[in-house]
Amino acid sequence: MPSWSFARASSRSGTASRPDPTAGAGAPAAFLSTRGSSVSSWLDYTINGLIVGNVYALVAVGLALIFGVSRLINFAQGSIYLVGAYIGWVAVVQLHTPLPLTIIVVAAAAAIVGLIIERFGLRPLQNSVRIAPLLATIGISFVLDQLVMLTFSPNPRALPSQLPDVRFQVGGGTIGPLDLLIAGVGLTSALLLFVFLRYSKLGWAVRAASQDRDAAMQMGVDVNRVNQAVFGIAAALGGVSGMLVGMYYNQIDTAMSLQATLKGVVAEVVGGAGNVPGAVIGSLLLGLVESYGVAVFGTSYRNLFAFLLLVVVLVLRPNGLFASARQAPPEPLTGTFIAPSRPVRIPRWALAVAAAIFAILPFFPVSFYVLQTLINAWLLGMLALSLTLVAGTMGQVSLGHAALLAIGAYTSALLSLTLNVPVGLAVIGGGLMSAALGTLLISPSFRLRGHYVSIATLAIGEIVSLVILNWESVTRGPIGISGIPPLSLFGYDLISPSSIYWFSFVVMAVLALLQGRLLTSHLGRSFRAIRDDDIAARAYGLSLNRYKSLAFIFGGFAAGVSGGIAAHLYSYINHETFNTQQSILALTVVILGGLGNVVGAIVGAVALVGLPEVFRIAAEYRILIYGIVLLLLVRFRPQGLLGTI
Amino acid sequence: MTASTPEPLLALSGVNTFYGQAQVHFDLSITVARGHIVCLLGGNASGKSTTMKIILGLVKPRSGDVTFDGASLIGLTTPQIVRRGIASVPEARRLFADMSVRENILMGAFVRNDRDAVAQDLERMLTLFPKLGQRLSQRAGSLSGGEQQMVAMARALMSRPRMIVMDEPTMGLSPLYVDRVLELIRTINQEGVSVFMVEQNASLALEIAHEAYVLQTGKIVLSGPARALKDDPRVRDAYLGGSEAA
Repeated sequence: MPSWSFARASSRSGTASRPDPTAGAGAPAAFLSTRGSSVSSWLDYTINGLIVGNVYALVAVGLALIFGVSRLINFAQGSIYLVGAYIGWVAVVQLHTPLPLTIIVVAAAAAIVGLIIERFGLRPLQNSVRIAPLLATIGISFVLDQLVMLTFSPNPRALPSQLPDVRFQVGGGTIGPLDLLIAGVGLTSALLLFVFLRYSKLGWAVRAASQDRDAAMQMGVDVNRVNQAVFGIAAALGGVSGMLVGMYYNQIDTAMSLQATLKGVVAEVVGGAGNVPGAVIGSLLLGLVESYGVAVFGTSYRNLFAFLLLVVVLVLRPNGLFASARQAPPEPLTGTFIAPSRPVRIPRWALAVAAAIFAILPFFPVSFYVLQTLINAWLLGMLALSLTLVAGTMGQVSLGHAALLAIGAYTSALLSLTLNVPVGLAVIGGGLMSAALGTLLISPSFRLRGHYVSIATLAIGEIVSLVILNWESVTRGPIGISGIPPLSLFGYDLISPSSIYWFSFVVMAVLALLQGRLLTSHLGRSFRAIRDDDIAARAYGLSLNRYKSLAFIFGGFAAGVSGGIAAHLYSYINHETFNTQQSILALTVVILGGLGNVVGAIVGAVALVGLPEVFRIAAEYRILIYGIVLLLLVRFRPQGLLGTI
Repeated sequence: MTASTPEPLLALSGVNTFYGQAQVHFDLSITVARGHIVCLLGGNASGKSTTMKIILGLVKPRSGDVTFDGASLIGLTTPQIVRRGIASVPEARRLFADMSVRENILMGAFVRNDRDAVAQDLERMLTLFPKLGQRLSQRAGSLSGGEQQMVAMARALMSRPRMIVMDEPTMGLSPLYVDRVLELIRTINQEGVSVFMVEQNASLALEIAHEAYVLQTGKIVLSGPARALKDDPRVRDAYLGGSEAA
């Protein structure tokens, strides 16, 4: 996925557009040539790091305010930033507003978006399960991003900065009016926020509510108003931040959203979730770490440093570098992770009949298109089986599950291409590698809980993708792997659609049967015990690390096999083949089917892959639909179609 | 039940509360007369704290009514109830740990808009709780348990409530502070504030209360003037989990 980055060319005079935001495609030549250690460039990197840090801070402070008051990581923050950038574009390019007015328009419009999100997206979920608001913000973010994309097209646009293009010498480095503007906006916002929190009545209410929500209510604080204020402020800051970044690069595109969320979350968590000054310091630190990392290793390593910093902080100081006294936990503590429900009982014979119908389907005159769609469903079904085990049964809501696909796919592709391992074995090898490596990579997050697991897995997923991008000697880097041999079994190539269909169907069915057995076993009960109350489970002698590892090993295998099969079907893969969108799609499938529900995972996969085909929904609307489905589920049927187990 | 004073300030009548399937309160009725200290006694899991939450609107009863000064509180949010004149000293004090002592006390006046009078009341709190004078700019979380209890009480008084509800005000305090807290509750009451308190420590609570109720697994098993209950062996029974009927 293309991502914006803050790599700054050594000279920006007169250029219409700054270095292209394709961290993936390697650094711009002009930038690489300045790699070195002269004092002036180091000063430049420091200035750049601090400016970038300022932009991150505008996003992170909003995240911290929201986390403080409602213990929620707002995954829609990047979308508001995106909306801010495009509103800025409309204001500058179409309405020709002067700069101060542009800033006010963007802040106000973004704040309105934030208020709408709070009122209609999150407030109805106040009394629902803990995971619900998090999922809702993910859904909102998909909907907003897609709406922006549909309105403005996915093509990048130029966002002129309206400032004179001159640069001043400072010490050995240079600084331009836009740098000063960004620093000015950052400092002004920090000052205004400080005054607001310290001297206004609503500011006091925000602080009180973020330290003890119930006690604040007992002082007469209306927590809904506090939430509103916090979302409005966070959105205004985020929107302005997106506009400034757009001006900095003279370019905006829809991929900005996810990256902004990720960077903001990293900065916020590094500073200590919910800690506003911590978020500022975490942002500046992140900006500097990235800038220096880029100076030494090159642009394509920028994000890697960000996520490594996150993982290191999460492992060593899970409460952040500047952890504040933690808020008194809201009651009740346990048993509310997933929506409790009675799973829909499906008689065995019905399952057997359904399986038989799908098994003999290729004998009937069905079109290639139908088989192709179902093959996709079976592959997604395997990923969903994996995720429903990890997220549903084990309670570790992973947002980086696509990484397991990628590991399986690369392993299987490379085994068959470079070592001439038979494809059937290579796919199994992919599954095993995904199980082993995936579990190893995810293990730092085992000590984390709730939303932190989601952040950590998201970061780990990004790290996998970035390692694939940068480890050129093994993964062939940005070029990707082409010419992957087709599926084969015992020397027979599986090329006809029906043979591929059968193969993927059987593999998925076997995995599903195994997982069904697992759930009713003692092991499955232990998984659920840990999900529902990890403290109680530990008190009964269950080792959390061991069981979480087991869940990820089993889940990693299923996902790795899915990725392996996909690699041989696609014949070409690169580091972007398996991206966060797929992780989120898998999560939507799993929630649609009912968290932890094996049959539900498959039904969900068939529904989400098949229904858009049945209704002939154009591709660009699909992600929008997935986002809406996720939102509606969280709001109206959190237990999914078949119920949670 | 108790009924000797005219119209009560607070009345719970026929309250039934559930957590999911589990019933917490069975037809609970409690009245607090104006100007009185009323104490709700009971052991663990008897439903005491839930009674507090019902009054404050943090938990909604399935049936029954709660009236304050003649008007029903059912359906009001917690902030609205606080604005009607009920202040709370929550269980384990629940101060805003990262805010200063001054800020904590002033948070109690959140519902008020008369800044000058609030400043005067802050001064008044410092005469009532002289120890807090030196602690005003300190983080509330850094105080000892007893000092925190003082802050929590000062915070509650700052809204100029007609009634204060307290959840186990003596819990976890040293004996010295227990006496001090009880004495303060009496002082507050003498200034015209009615008090409803939930306590485990029956003998202490009955020292200062006018009336008391004993709650056992969600039912009122005993009630009456505190003086009468003090010597009632059934109070002991209720605590030791004696017979259901008591």
